Amino acid sequence: MVNAAKVLQDLRASAERKPDVVVRLGKPLVESGAVKKLDADAWLVYEQVAIAALEVGDDTLAHRCIEALEAKFPGSARVRRLQGMQLEAVGRLEDAGEIYKAILREDETNVLAAKRQVMLLRTMGLPAEAIGALVKYLDINYTDFEGWLQLADFYLEELMNTFVFLDQLLAAFLRYAQAAFCMEEVIMLQPQNHVFHLKYAEILYSQDSIGLALKQFCRVVELCKDHVRGLYGIKLCTSRLLKAAPSRNPAATSQEDLKAIDLLATERLLAVYGSGNAAASVKTTSAKWIESA
Amino acid sequence: MAVQQAPSYLGRLACVLGFLFLFHSGYSTFEHLSYLKAVDGHESGLPLDITIELIMSVALFGLGIVMVADDFKEILMETEMAKQSIESLDARPSFYAFDHRGRAVFRNVVLKN
Repeated sequence: MVNAAKVLQDLRASAERKPDVVVRLGKPLVESGAVKKLDADAWLVYEQVAIAALEVGDDTLAHRCIEALEAKFPGSARVRRLQGMQLEAVGRLEDAGEIYKAILREDETNVLAAKRQVMLLRTMGLPAEAIGALVKYLDINYTDFEGWLQLADFYLEELMNTFVFLDQLLAAFLRYAQAAFCMEEVIMLQPQNHVFHLKYAEILYSQDSIGLALKQFCRVVELCKDHVRGLYGIKLCTSRLLKAAPSRNPAATSQEDLKAIDLLATERLLAVYGSGNAAASVKTTSAKWIESA
Repeated sequence: MAVQQAPSYLGRLACVLGFLFLFHSGYSTFEHLSYLKAVDGHESGLPLDITIELIMSVALFGLGIVMVADDFKEILMETEMAKQSIESLDARPSFYAFDHRGRAVFRNVVLKN
């Protein structure tokens, strides 16, 4: 029991999305009433389990948790938001929207309800409206990196959902530029997180600004030593740049530097794959592939 | 990435011995002072052997602590970040949506330990 509570706490802190684990651990806690022994943490566990239960479709468990929270905190905006999420999960989107609207009418600055409204629009199948709402939200709460991340995701999602014809190429480029802009904002707010740099680098690569992408992939490896995805990104960029004609731009990385970077990335990748306890055949195959790439 | 290293028995021994000697020197001081009180002596300061025992025991105790203590933890942000998974670094809990496969996949699955 103590262990389950500890794992749930760790999951709350890391914000990892593992609803199945949360329900598996949290369901016995809630059903046996042992959760009450956690004192102040109990209400956080109820909230956590409620959201996880909605995600895995265990509506009765979610209902139970939300009722317990409602009894403890009647009329609280946070609990009403959970009730809205419950309605969202079962598909009663309009009713959920009413709840969020009511919360925002009482308190305009309730960011959680505003974010739910954005996701509600997306669930309704109105991506353009969702983007509009999120842009409006970010206009006010521009230090919310989660919001910027979500906006970048919206732009990228839109690219995935539409076929890109030749006449839409420009629009596609614009979408990548917009997503890249969002990632720049995120990096300004959270410069120490290498995953954001990685995302930015990958968007730049898709945008075909390989030179800049290379620099960003290098930043990823700088922030997180031997980051394999970053190293592969470097190799992708250097091989593209080495194949292309040497750039006349004096600011661009020189051919010798590119070759040196490529060599270093290959060396690190081989070292990373060589150090693990994978089978020898796996090691030789991956080594061959890395060297040929 | 703190690998639990084997406990240093020599260090533990040094700690125990150092503590015993420290305790003994303290006790000797007490004995010495009560002796002085009994004979009404006016001697100030401690005898040399107690002082030496005290200093040696502190040195031994310190050495033991250094040997027993675990490796230092990195204070670099980088190592802390490298430990976390991409799912937790890229998580957006306030933007969850429920129109995903989770509700269909887990609906009839009993999640048990």
